[in-house]
Amino acid sequence: MEQPDLQLAFIRLVNENRGMLYKVCRMYGATEPDRQDLFQEIVIQLWRSYPSFRGAARFSTWLYRIALNTAISDLRKQRRHITPVDPDLLPSQLQDIQYSNEKEEQLQQLYAAINRLTEVEKALTMLYLEDKSYQEMEEILGIPQNNLRVKMNRIKDKLRKMTKEAAYGIGRP
Amino acid sequence: MELDDLKTIWKEQDLLSGTGHEPAGQLARLLRERSRGPIERMRHNLRIESLLLILTYIPTIIGYLTMFHGSLWIIAVVFSLILIFYGVYFYMKSRLLKKMQCVTCEVRSNLARQVRVLGKYLRLYLWSGTLLLLIALVIAYEVLKYTRDQVSHRVTPYWWIPPVFLLVLLGLFAVGSYFLNRWYANKLYGRHIKKLKELLREMDEV
Repeated sequence: MEQPDLQLAFIRLVNENRGMLYKVCRMYGATEPDRQDLFQEIVIQLWRSYPSFRGAARFSTWLYRIALNTAISDLRKQRRHITPVDPDLLPSQLQDIQYSNEKEEQLQQLYAAINRLTEVEKALTMLYLEDKSYQEMEEILGIPQNNLRVKMNRIKDKLRKMTKEAAYGIGRP
Repeated sequence: MELDDLKTIWKEQDLLSGTGHEPAGQLARLLRERSRGPIERMRHNLRIESLLLILTYIPTIIGYLTMFHGSLWIIAVVFSLILIFYGVYFYMKSRLLKKMQCVTCEVRSNLARQVRVLGKYLRLYLWSGTLLLLIALVIAYEVLKYTRDQVSHRVTPYWWIPPVFLLVLLGLFAVGSYFLNRWYANKLYGRHIKKLKELLREMDEV
């Protein structure tokens, strides 16, 4: 494939999967600049790996691996200096959502609960909420399924407890 | 809220956060941006270090080769040897940095790879830093000895003092440099490697 065609195909794929990318950024980025920075980094990593994607793995597995690898091992929270990113280059959807109705309030509660999880737990939670099978979770994370089930049960308990607390306003910033 | 409700809320957020596509031009511009990940920053620093070394060492070597009718050629050789040492060192570092990340691999194996390769990278940093100082000391001693022998061939009864002094100095510098390099490497990468190990431990624990 020629470079412009490759780029067009890639942009189409990013657009088709942008919802998932935004979710990863919202989960792992503490602030709006962090999320924008992370979005840019994930897109760059996807673009670098795109020519070598041979279809050996499922496309969604490939996409999740790159997004989660970038988000988890980048350790952006430890950054002392955040380089400002040109706002014109970044998606407006990454900005904080203005909550106005009940559903949005619930989403905020869910994210408040997720933010109290560890990096690994966040990845597992995202895959669980996206209805991924244990088989696919194993392919993405590299954690054996038996171990995944144990972890997932623990996280579900945590989530239940934390969303209840969030509903009563406990644990909110 | 029940977990099924959480899934519903999660899936509905695409609708809440907007449905518009990113303009192609905006994404195309994003693709031309440089990565700001930690490994890319390390590679960037390595490129700058290499460039600085070349820019300072090459003129110095040429200077020693041409100044005073080339009588200081031995110092030019010393600088060339150090430059070669650094060249090999930077090449090895660059190779390790290329191997450090595999974003398309499973998350666990990518983390394990980063811990393993970063460990190698730090050992290389530690031993090269320590070794380079000792080599520099030995070379400086040999150059001084060579220069002195050119001027005088007198053998004194205390000929053993300089080599013993060198050995003591080498011992002191080896210990000091090792601990200094270890402290600095830990300051630079300690937190990063600790965090990676914590993540890996969390993934492995049942």
